[in-house]
Amino acid sequence: MSDTFSLKRFGLLLKKTLTERPTQTIGATCLLLLLSVVLYTIAKRLAGFNAAQNLTFIWGLAGGGFFLASFIFGYFNSTASGSSYLTLPASFFEKWLCGILIAGIFYPLLFLLLFHCIDLLFVAAYHNSLDPNSLFYKQQYESVYTFDLNGTIAWKVYFIFSFVTGAMLTGGLYFNKIAIVKTAIAICLFIAILLGINWLISIMFFGPIKEFGIYHHVTLEVGKADGIILMPSGTENFIRHCIGYCLPTVLWFLPLIRLKEKEF
Amino acid sequence: MIEVSNLSFGYKKRKPLYNNLNLRLPVGSIYGLLGKNGAGKSTLLKNFAGLLFPKTGTLQVNGFDPKKRLPSFLQTIYFIPEEVYVPSLTAEGYKKLFAPFYPSFNEEQFYHYLDFLDVHDKGKLNTLSFGQQKKFIIAFALACNTKILLLDEPTNGLDIPSKIKFRKLISSVFTDDKMIFISTHQIRDLDNLIDNVIIVDNGELLMQASLSEIAQKLSFRIVDTIDDESVVLYTEPSLKGHAIVTENTTSDESKVNLEYLFNAVTGNPKKSKAIFKTK
Repeated sequence: MSDTFSLKRFGLLLKKTLTERPTQTIGATCLLLLLSVVLYTIAKRLAGFNAAQNLTFIWGLAGGGFFLASFIFGYFNSTASGSSYLTLPASFFEKWLCGILIAGIFYPLLFLLLFHCIDLLFVAAYHNSLDPNSLFYKQQYESVYTFDLNGTIAWKVYFIFSFVTGAMLTGGLYFNKIAIVKTAIAICLFIAILLGINWLISIMFFGPIKEFGIYHHVTLEVGKADGIILMPSGTENFIRHCIGYCLPTVLWFLPLIRLKEKEF
Repeated sequence: MIEVSNLSFGYKKRKPLYNNLNLRLPVGSIYGLLGKNGAGKSTLLKNFAGLLFPKTGTLQVNGFDPKKRLPSFLQTIYFIPEEVYVPSLTAEGYKKLFAPFYPSFNEEQFYHYLDFLDVHDKGKLNTLSFGQQKKFIIAFALACNTKILLLDEPTNGLDIPSKIKFRKLISSVFTDDKMIFISTHQIRDLDNLIDNVIIVDNGELLMQASLSEIAQKLSFRIVDTIDDESVVLYTEPSLKGHAIVTENTTSDESKVNLEYLFNAVTGNPKKSKAIFKTK
């Protein structure tokens, strides 16, 4: 049997990971999905369809992914469970793949499926509730559509999901105790530093600025008017790719290296 | 087989816990690793299990480098830490999930060991007392039939009858193709169980010898009066006079008292190393 990957051993590991702590894996997934439905329902009543769709999508996918990822490598709260996990006869690659599969494939797919289903149901219910003879029927009908899973907002959320979930998977292996809190703090610090650097660069180049769009533009006050200076598209693309693609990739692969090198 | 060559390890760079440690431990023995609190017993066991990595030197366990934590290596070793981990599963559930990772796991033995150690509860393992959890893990580890079994303070948390049963069980399951390595500071718990003794203190190997070698080299006696204190490695008042440990200069062999041995060796590290020719 290969020491890097064996399908049989991987199957055993996946089964063990999912059923060893059912409250934390299956239970948390069910709870997150249920909360998404509740959030959608409440937000729809309070703020309308668009807000409900956006809010549920962001919190359900990115927030849920982050929360669930905290359990994936959450064995290092105690010497006993950490030792048991690291000495379990499975390769570090299999352990990593198991975590990636649960946090990066299973949960998002389940969430997207559920989200799309409830979205379809709610939107269909709304459309059916409209009076076709009303003067505003067409206008009312067209004001609500199902959330576009391939739209701009959806892709922004996919990036946020890949960033925070990857950060949590990595954090789970670097912070042994209360990893979820420490990772959340680390993410906040990272964002603060990113904004701080952006702000510093802006004032370094342009002096006092009125407002800045993160790595996109600065707004300057020229007399009584405002002037916007856009970041050169090449630089903006580079930074966007670094934050949107490179950083999540690093965060999802770092646990693989950490699992190999981790001492406990 | 465990082979340690010039191993150095330390949690802090400037303060090594072990420096140039050399050990050669063949299978077919039950080793007792003795040391004071903080002497580095658990650290050494964790190095053997691949949980900690040596800073310098080489370490081979069953022909593998533990640092790599290859599945084929991990299948040959079972490490029971001082605090054990049991998930919220029944004994049956635990067996179903964990046993398939160990090719030599024997189900019949597992239930027999559980029965022998009086672990009969059918409920969730995490609701059991600490002692019961520990006995469960010991039974599971023994049923895995790994070549090497590393036990860190296994008797901590066990009541007196359980300690006796633990000793009996370990003796009964031991075979010549296995190695059992027990680390403890509760020396009396290892009486009549181990056949090899390793004593470490301040990250230094003070002694590694079999019980027969110890009996050849040291003398454990009760005397009325101590004639020459300079030859005494350890003394303790007893009901019949003084219990003393001295270097054995005759061919007579006395019964080894592990507690006295430990005190004699840790109290006279240089002399002990000279007697046992420890590198």
